[in-house]
Amino acid sequence: MAAAGGLRRAGWRLWRARRAVVRCQQYPPLRALQASAALRAASDEHKKEPWASSSQQHFESPPAGHQPEEKPQGPHPSYTGQGGQESEDYESEEQLQHRILTAALEFVPEHGWTAEAIAEGAKTLGLSVAAAGLFHSDGSELILHFVSDCNTKLTELLKKEQKLVQLGEAEKKPIDEFLRDAVEARLRMLIPYIEKWPQALSVLLLPRNIPSSLSLLTSMIDDIWHYAGDQSTDFNWYTRRAVLTAIYNTTELVMMQDSSPGFEDTWRFLENRVADAMAMSNTATQVQSTGEAVVQGLMGAAVTIKNLAGLNQRR
Amino acid sequence: MAALRLWRWRCRALLSRPAGALRARRGLAAGPEMHFGFQTVTEEERREKIYQVFENVAKKYDVMNDSMTLGIHRVWKDILVHKMNPCPGTLLLDVAGGTGDIAFRFINYVRSVRQRQLQRKLRHHQNLSWQEIFESYQNDKFNNSLGDSQVVVCDINREMLKVGKQKAQHLGYSEGLSWVLGNAEELPFDDDKFDVYTIAFGIRNVTRIDLALQEAYRVLKPGGRFLCLEFSHVSNPLVSRLYDLYSFQVIPVLGEVIAGDWRSYQYLVESIRQFPPQEELKAMIEDAGFFKVDYENLNFGIVAIHSGFKL
Repeated sequence: MAAAGGLRRAGWRLWRARRAVVRCQQYPPLRALQASAALRAASDEHKKEPWASSSQQHFESPPAGHQPEEKPQGPHPSYTGQGGQESEDYESEEQLQHRILTAALEFVPEHGWTAEAIAEGAKTLGLSVAAAGLFHSDGSELILHFVSDCNTKLTELLKKEQKLVQLGEAEKKPIDEFLRDAVEARLRMLIPYIEKWPQALSVLLLPRNIPSSLSLLTSMIDDIWHYAGDQSTDFNWYTRRAVLTAIYNTTELVMMQDSSPGFEDTWRFLENRVADAMAMSNTATQVQSTGEAVVQGLMGAAVTIKNLAGLNQRR
Repeated sequence: MAALRLWRWRCRALLSRPAGALRARRGLAAGPEMHFGFQTVTEEERREKIYQVFENVAKKYDVMNDSMTLGIHRVWKDILVHKMNPCPGTLLLDVAGGTGDIAFRFINYVRSVRQRQLQRKLRHHQNLSWQEIFESYQNDKFNNSLGDSQVVVCDINREMLKVGKQKAQHLGYSEGLSWVLGNAEELPFDDDKFDVYTIAFGIRNVTRIDLALQEAYRVLKPGGRFLCLEFSHVSNPLVSRLYDLYSFQVIPVLGEVIAGDWRSYQYLVESIRQFPPQEELKAMIEDAGFFKVDYENLNFGIVAIHSGFKL
């Protein structure tokens, strides 16, 4: 029993580590960029420096370390460029890609999850439209970025609620209500992009994207259960996550074709499914006890028949 | 505008020539030793020889391309433009683009993307009120079939440009196309002008590749993309042997038969062997300041597309 618990915890740690690795792999750290940082600086002070020469200086400098996504873009190690300029805000390629994708999201309702939206986003940042070539032409990175963004927002929301409960300012919700609210909050983030979301879902199912999209989905479900207070260390861990994944996916699909005002139908569907899930656990225990009872009854019947047939008598 | 650029280039060309002549008169070597195919020549000689090669082959350039590569060069160029994935409004500079293959493909691609965009807009319009449709007609330029995209074809060789212009007229490309005489090592354009810079099967003939890469970096906008399509190194031994056999035995013969010029095509094949392999070119591109430099081998490495961004 303890061994199973230890294994479960090790699995949990591995899961979390894998999530971090997936994030690392998606955005590998590279050298500092000047031209994009120059555009940002140029919005405050306009100067045109010969970036070609200064870039050659920075080629020898050590590469920027890995920046985790949540870290704000603060000042990085400064280098004196041409003419005694100092402490420009250098950023890594990963951060630039983040900025482009975030800027591209506002063009998604018009252009869809495509390279065009990314090109428009790059244009607003002052970059050339050719910067959309940094990403795949089917817009997968944009969708994955959006999904991971939403998951982060959900986690922060849940953390805030948990803090309120801990401080005693709010009451602890019963599990079904908690799950319902978490899934509803997460699905509401899709509402601005709901028209183009079916396209996004189909792109997420491409074989190339399945590993990343699957890991994002599972880590989100994991987070929800964690904040719901799940500390199971047996097979329950798997069943709970499987059930919640099913609820989430089906509700998402219902939402796609829901035309009721305020998506009422979707939330009612969600309520029913969560209630079903809760009832299912009761049903499971009932089935087990019934099963035991039935088995005992059969054993008794068998003994009675043996007695009647006179086989139990000792001669 | 093009006339002004031409004038500027001519002035620069005139000013640069006396320096070389001066060096020769002083009896010093006129520039470092370079390779011209498998021969060793000086920089000046190399430039002149390459100019002559392309002057000779200009008229039969397209025919020879088709026969040497068995028509596969069209696929390579298509792949290059697909990789570029330009959207309407892109400004392309095609250097060493003599006969305009890349430029025409770019125009076709942008036209079809623009068509799709307009169709989508019209479909969307079916849900709007009359007032909104009227306003959109006033704002959009519906008659712009290219969506403000433009391509500038730049080549050092006048003959190649002539052939290109004739081809454009013949095929009916007039909108969004301009032809400029210029040297890749010293482009007659301002800084930060272009969205995409392509050089297809041209960088091999540039004498100072690093200068050309630096110029590419200069004329690109921030966020702009550098694309280079070029013959490269084959690592697979079997394919390499067949390719060598084909290159040295068949191509010069084709050159003699079709274009009447054995030596130019011998130069072509030798220059491919002298060109730096994929990783080395990638390092050179990174040296010029480009980021996210990557290459894609086509046909086992017979041709490679290098791509870099000015970030």
